[in-house]
Amino acid sequence: MSRLGNRADWADDEEFDDPSALPAQQVITNKDGTKTVISYRFNDDNKKVKVTRRIKTTVVRENVNPQVAERRSWAKFGNEKGHAAGPSFDTTSVGENIIFRPSINWKAQAKEAEKDGGEKGSMKDQLKDKKVKCRICSGEHFTARCPFKDTMAPVEEPSTGGMDAGEADAGGLGAGKSSYVPPHLRNGGAAGGEKMGGSRFEKDDLATLRVTNVSELAEEQELRDLFERFGRVTRVFLARDRETQRAKGFAFISYADRSDAVRACEKLDGFGYRHLILRVEFAKRST
Amino acid sequence: MRPILLSGHERSLTQIRFNRDGDLLFSVAKDKIVCAWWSANGERLGTYNGHQGAVWTVDVSPNTVLLATGSADNTVRLWNIKTGECVKVWDFPTAVKRVAFSPDGSQLLAVTEKRMGFLGTIAVLDINYGDGQLGGLDQQADEPALRITCNDSKATVAGWSFLAKYIIAGHEDGSVSQYDPKSGEQLANVQVHEFDHQINDIQFSPDRTYFLTASKDKSAKLLSARDLNILKTYPSDTPLNSASITPKKEYVILGGGQAAMDVTTTSARQGKFEARFYHKVFEDEIGRVRGHFGPLNTIDVHPAGTAYASGGEDGYVRIHHFDKSYFDFMYEVEREQMRK
Repeated sequence: MSRLGNRADWADDEEFDDPSALPAQQVITNKDGTKTVISYRFNDDNKKVKVTRRIKTTVVRENVNPQVAERRSWAKFGNEKGHAAGPSFDTTSVGENIIFRPSINWKAQAKEAEKDGGEKGSMKDQLKDKKVKCRICSGEHFTARCPFKDTMAPVEEPSTGGMDAGEADAGGLGAGKSSYVPPHLRNGGAAGGEKMGGSRFEKDDLATLRVTNVSELAEEQELRDLFERFGRVTRVFLARDRETQRAKGFAFISYADRSDAVRACEKLDGFGYRHLILRVEFAKRST
Repeated sequence: MRPILLSGHERSLTQIRFNRDGDLLFSVAKDKIVCAWWSANGERLGTYNGHQGAVWTVDVSPNTVLLATGSADNTVRLWNIKTGECVKVWDFPTAVKRVAFSPDGSQLLAVTEKRMGFLGTIAVLDINYGDGQLGGLDQQADEPALRITCNDSKATVAGWSFLAKYIIAGHEDGSVSQYDPKSGEQLANVQVHEFDHQINDIQFSPDRTYFLTASKDKSAKLLSARDLNILKTYPSDTPLNSASITPKKEYVILGGGQAAMDVTTTSARQGKFEARFYHKVFEDEIGRVRGHFGPLNTIDVHPAGTAYASGGEDGYVRIHHFDKSYFDFMYEVEREQMRK
């Protein structure tokens, strides 16, 4: 009580003294060369709004003839007189991106696109002319009813490519069409049955190394060269920052053969690569 | 490509023009204002204020010193492009539907409307560029050097052929005629479009030896300027308001759409408010660009062929800077020729 007594009420904090005062604009230079500008303003309802903008500046050099260059220095006139340089928001805006690709059979393509759009509606229509196909013997029955169920493994489709961290979400969305694909049909319908058999995922997992403490400047090709000395590498995945394109410091290396992976793990754990000491271990299966 | 939308006008666009270097774009609409824009970023350089009625037409002199506009207030005005001042007003008895500078900029033609007992005319005005330092621009001759009267069908559009050798005019009845700019004599008249289907636009190739007409009869035609032979025909499914020839790539761009008065009764898709790209030589349609909410009234192509702009009934100008795919597209024959 007494502590609060000699202080001003918390409600009259400095911030509320003068509601028209706005914090000063902040400009932060990011390490990837972009700038973050944080400014405050009042919106139409008189509420304070924080605006954060990230700005990337690129210099484009262009050669123009002297007359054009002279015109660039012209002052604005008429209704624009006295306005600041640069496009103003009330007259100039940028529209949605338009994909324009000229083609000879433009008409046929446009018709097809229209037909696709019309069909999208019902799942029934899409599945209408789909046939039941066994993944084991390609016969016209469900895989579970296949007479060779116990003797043969399902035929792999080449597109189902393991558990690549980079491709994981792309694969999950099916064949690139915008329509919804139920989970059991994703990855060409093979994923469900495959996990039960547990053939490929685990095998792949067993020969995958997790490499940490990788330099920021590492390149996928360099890592491949380094690890290929011990055997055939099927996949190199180097995690990168989405914006700066720099390595995040860890990578996954998959070998075709587990024994190669064991050797690589032994030899390269503690190996000095680009001023850092690598730590190599077997990847743990993520569940 | 991401179009730049220019919303400087409150009413439908009537004409847009790039200057010869392509760095400036001029637009006129039915709202009395003339706008100048930087084509690279869509910034408005300024406005030319003074007209008392809808502005139908605009043209820029080849040296980008003077701007001519023709309006429904029965005047042609000449503006100093840099300062926005009006340097000269010519009064006509009726509205002015089209102005065009000759290739060397020394003359200006103005097409006047047929109305109130006056016949449609094409007036040719001499243009004086003063001392070259933007001084003396207001010393222009008051009277036209020549007046061509169209007795049969009024001219709707007109332009200059190569070396200002002919004046080519498109008429309300769908014919195209050729005049001598010295004597005003009609040298030829050819019915190129369907009878009674007005020609809405006429645009020339960079060397002005051939030109493209856009007509209400849903087709555009490529004609030779010397003998008015029809070289190519581009059929479409909607009345055309504008047509332009692209430099650098062998395309033509057509724009049109259902007449403005019928627009409210149709949806945007049926209205066909798209810019249509045709191959100039093979006459095939190769693509469309949509975006406007109303018919396209006017199209102009950047003189370097790197961009085009369209103005619509919806009051917007859209500047499109072409992508790589636009320049890469080639027919198999063209590719073979490239290899040779």
